[in-house]
Amino acid sequence: MKMELNKEYVLALIAVVLGLLAGAILMMLTGNNPLQGYYFLIRGGLMSIERVGNTLATATPLIFTGLAVAFAFRTGLFNIGAAGQMLAGGLCATAIGLSFAWPKVILLPTAVLGALIAGALWGFVPGYLKSRFNVHEVVSSIMMNWIAYWTVYYVVPGYFKGPYLETESRKITEAASLKVAWLTKMFSGSYINLGFFLAVLAVIVIAFILNKTTLGYELKAVGFNRHAAEYAGIRSNRNIVISMMISGALAGLGGAAFYIGYASNIQIGVMPSQGFDGIAVSLLGANSPWGVFFAAVFFGLLHSGKGFMNAMTNIPPEIADSIIATIIYFAATSILIERCWDRLKKYLRGAK
Amino acid sequence: MSFVVEMLRIRKEFPGIVANDDITLQVKQGEIHALLGENGAGKSTLMSILFGLYQPDGGEIRIRGKQVEISNPNVANDLGIGMVHQHFKLVHNFTITENIILGIEPKRGLVVDKKAASAKIRELSEKYGLNVDPDAKIEDVSVGMQQRVEILKMLYRNADVLIFDEPTSVLTPQEIQELMKIMRNLIAEGKSIILITHKLKEIKAIADRCTVIRRGRLIGTVDVAETSEARMAEMMVGREVNFQVVKAPAKPGKVVLAVENLSVLNNRKVLGLKDFSLEVRAGEIVGVAGVDGNGQVELVEAITGMRRAESGKIMLNGKDITEASVRSRIKAGIAHIPEDRHKHGLILDYSMEDNIALKVYDEPPYSSRGLLNRNEIRRYAQTVIEEFDVRSGQGAISVARSLSGGNQQKAIVGRELAQNPELLIAVQPTRGLDVGAIEYIHRRLVEQRDKGKAVLLVSLELDEILSVSDRIAVINNGELVGIVQADETDENEIGLMMAGVKRGDIR
Amino acid sequence: MLKKGMGLIIVLVVLAVAVSGCFTKGGTNLKVGMVTDAGTIDDKSFNQGTWEGIKRAGEELKVETKYLKPGGTTEADYMKEIGNLYDAGYKFIVCPGFKFETAIYQAQDKYKDAKFVLIDGSPHAGDGKAVVKENTVSIFFAEHESGFMAGIATALQLKEGEVGFIGGMEIPPVQRFNWGFQQGIQYANANLGTNISLKAENVIYQGSFDNVAAGQQLAAQMYDKGVKAIFCAAGGVGVGAINEAKSRAKAGQQVWVIGVDVDQYSEGIYDGNKSVILTSAMKKIAQAAFDMVQAEKDGKFPGGQTLTFDASNNGVGIPDENPNLSEEVQTKTAEVFEKLQSGEIKVSDQRGNLIK
Repeated sequence: MKMELNKEYVLALIAVVLGLLAGAILMMLTGNNPLQGYYFLIRGGLMSIERVGNTLATATPLIFTGLAVAFAFRTGLFNIGAAGQMLAGGLCATAIGLSFAWPKVILLPTAVLGALIAGALWGFVPGYLKSRFNVHEVVSSIMMNWIAYWTVYYVVPGYFKGPYLETESRKITEAASLKVAWLTKMFSGSYINLGFFLAVLAVIVIAFILNKTTLGYELKAVGFNRHAAEYAGIRSNRNIVISMMISGALAGLGGAAFYIGYASNIQIGVMPSQGFDGIAVSLLGANSPWGVFFAAVFFGLLHSGKGFMNAMTNIPPEIADSIIATIIYFAATSILIERCWDRLKKYLRGAK
Repeated sequence: MSFVVEMLRIRKEFPGIVANDDITLQVKQGEIHALLGENGAGKSTLMSILFGLYQPDGGEIRIRGKQVEISNPNVANDLGIGMVHQHFKLVHNFTITENIILGIEPKRGLVVDKKAASAKIRELSEKYGLNVDPDAKIEDVSVGMQQRVEILKMLYRNADVLIFDEPTSVLTPQEIQELMKIMRNLIAEGKSIILITHKLKEIKAIADRCTVIRRGRLIGTVDVAETSEARMAEMMVGREVNFQVVKAPAKPGKVVLAVENLSVLNNRKVLGLKDFSLEVRAGEIVGVAGVDGNGQVELVEAITGMRRAESGKIMLNGKDITEASVRSRIKAGIAHIPEDRHKHGLILDYSMEDNIALKVYDEPPYSSRGLLNRNEIRRYAQTVIEEFDVRSGQGAISVARSLSGGNQQKAIVGRELAQNPELLIAVQPTRGLDVGAIEYIHRRLVEQRDKGKAVLLVSLELDEILSVSDRIAVINNGELVGIVQADETDENEIGLMMAGVKRGDIR
Repeated sequence: MLKKGMGLIIVLVVLAVAVSGCFTKGGTNLKVGMVTDAGTIDDKSFNQGTWEGIKRAGEELKVETKYLKPGGTTEADYMKEIGNLYDAGYKFIVCPGFKFETAIYQAQDKYKDAKFVLIDGSPHAGDGKAVVKENTVSIFFAEHESGFMAGIATALQLKEGEVGFIGGMEIPPVQRFNWGFQQGIQYANANLGTNISLKAENVIYQGSFDNVAAGQQLAAQMYDKGVKAIFCAAGGVGVGAINEAKSRAKAGQQVWVIGVDVDQYSEGIYDGNKSVILTSAMKKIAQAAFDMVQAEKDGKFPGGQTLTFDASNNGVGIPDENPNLSEEVQTKTAEVFEKLQSGEIKVSDQRGNLIK
């Protein structure tokens, strides 16, 4: 077990370094100094307490969606519907936040719980279709993405639009926001919010479920070998539904962290990219909860440092986006690197 | 002396193991040369090299004295080497002719000249006594016939050297006799045969010489006529072997398992098991004999709850469990050593302790209120590992994948027996194991019986059925052909029954 | 696993240390930055228009320019990029579009020594109550006047027949384009001898700004019903309509689209040099952006004000060159424009009894 972990840790680091190298090559090709580029990228993400806060705030939804994807992966499922689950969660949280005038101690937990339930529901549908009718979860969860997208499109202008804008909901009140004054002040005005702590909590809870509970034991068993799980009396269909619901609930919480934390309203016509970035986060994090956490923080750093790198160098924003995408792409290919590694070892042995 | 095939000092490595280490195999023109070794000894690797599927890391291959490099199966074909695979590679809704000419269709203009092909096949069939109808469809002919089609495929391609990979594993004893006759015909016509097998009796019956390999190394090549079975077994295993399963007469008690008029669908959604009835009593081992694919899987999966019964009843200790879940059957005392230890028996990426806990993790003390108790699980796993002598690199925390097949199987047997089950269902429990492990597992089965438990043994190895069982139920085409007392029958009778001949018809 | 994260951080820190000191500070020159809205810098609309104005200022007024692309479209995303520009020394920041309203509201307090230009919006806290601080200018355009001029030009050129309108979302600026366009048609029919009809069924808000396929479909339906020209104030939806018009024009049918925001003539080009864009109802965004930079340069930055660009200050109207309009039409249109500038003609920004 220990050996395995070490290997994954090395692979992830190699992947990150390769990604940074590829990004460096891209910077050089566009006539920029990569060392300078990375210097400003890192400064952009970390040079002030506010920027550290923003890096963590950017990472927060990614931690949730990364966890969602990783959790489903562990059960042998590919949840590509994290974006839709985020939207469903975010819409539900926003709707609760805008509909009730309760005190914060009641309203905020209700909104977060609503997001969790809505995300779980959005995960339940593909899970149920898979277990009952063997509909592939990739297909159905992509369709659920669009159902969420158009539901937001219909519900927000219809019921929650502001007095002057059709394209987004009213701003949620302070009572429904994950942003809290002391935290904003501590990070001198950054967008970090309670969502980050929820995310850390989620990482701990998911790690606990996977490693310490019979549920986690069953889910992983189904993921590794569905036949053997069934042979042992584990109802894999039930576990598929549970797994998708937990995965969806995580993404739904990510929606809350994003729409009532990082942002303070929900916009129509936007499919949150965090849903898909979650796949890369999960891959880099080797599907382990803490791996996901650090991968998400790394991606958060890239995303939030990018603008400053742009501002300080002559790298145009479009190239900067390509550089970030390249780093993410490489970082997410640690599996490929593993294969190359094995092949190289074989080759070296053959050469002897 | 003319050797038709010479494989000299062949070496082949795979990551972590040396599959072939300096093996030399020389086949004379016109002989049947047996290649003997336990599963995993390196027989298949060696033959795959000869057939061009693998490239050797060292050594050389000579065909009719000329050094060659066999880079792929086409080269092997051109050199006159043909292989009859253990699992046939046939298109089921094609005719025999169509299957044989597949890939080398004779053409007249743009049209496939099936008539000419069919005539040639008929001629070959007569010459070698194969008795094949070229126009029959594969799905309509027996397994034995399908094997002959595979042989014809090779002959049609003018193969001189035929490799038979475990050809008897899918045949009834009578079909095996037929096959041997065909092999003799082939030799008479000047062909050479390499016979891959681990069955000594067959070697003794048909082979001229025998090359024995063990754990990737060459042990020696012997003249079969001058070597006893026991000696060959010793060469194969590396020590003296006791074939006999020692057991006292059974003392059957109450009925533990009663299967009544059970019908079950197979994977193709037709009845794979039809109106099947069987009783297994406490303190007896009932063997189920039959050729592979005749309903054994459906029977076992219906009893264990992995497959739904269409009709009929399954009773365990007098309680109807026909509709019960897999888990409740496990808790009611059914243990199951599955046929495929990688597909069903183990979660290969789980540690040994997690695998050993697979059927108890949900009950105290191994878990309570949904939380696993890792310490208890480890303690339990360690007892099982110790008691069943499961050897692995890191004990309880080794990943199941890293264990050898024999140790994996021992772990499964250990896990199932540790539950102290009322009924033990063992399916092919010794498949792919070395002789030592086979002895061990047989002893465990008998021990279970002697403890007053019921044992249902399903196996394709007739020897195993005959030596371990007290009673034998023979299954053919999903139906029960008959039940016989093990000490009142022989291989011949069981063989006929496996082919579907009812007992009354024999005598 | 903790180790893994530590490893990452160590790698990054080492990188940071290894390259520190490459920091060069710009001169005392004015540095003008822009944050783009959703969409690319070459969106043929707000982003592009604003950036063109800033670029022109960069060349003519010798200021440093830079635009940044936010990672998303939330207030936080915008604020981050404004912060990046500010920290990099760009203290004159132009933001195109109403989506920046709440971000600018915060930024004008947070970065008191920076100046902000908000095009097509006014800063507020999320409640719609405009608060324009001393370091901010809020710019609006009289879309109804722009739509009015497009209506006049269209009516004069077509003389008779049916026209239509496709809007994106039903939001005030789009509505004003629509209402102005209708008033333009009415004015031409009443005073300039044209006979153009605009039926209620041919005034449609698609509901989004990005559904290209829907735009194409809506345009096809209208053209099938005999509509000759469609005024599209609908972003990507309009692109769909333009595509439909182009494929019909290639097949020989004479159909037109009236563009919006910027001169969309080049968007409608087919068969070499012909275009389906009859004319465009422009907001002179580039001009506005340029003017503000120049004002700052001259020390006359109108901080705290809300400016409206309309006909009177040449802030709206149709393009200077309209290859698809005849000389006569252009002359007559110019005459009407003069009357609009002088206040002789008044265009209402309210619906009144107009269609939707």
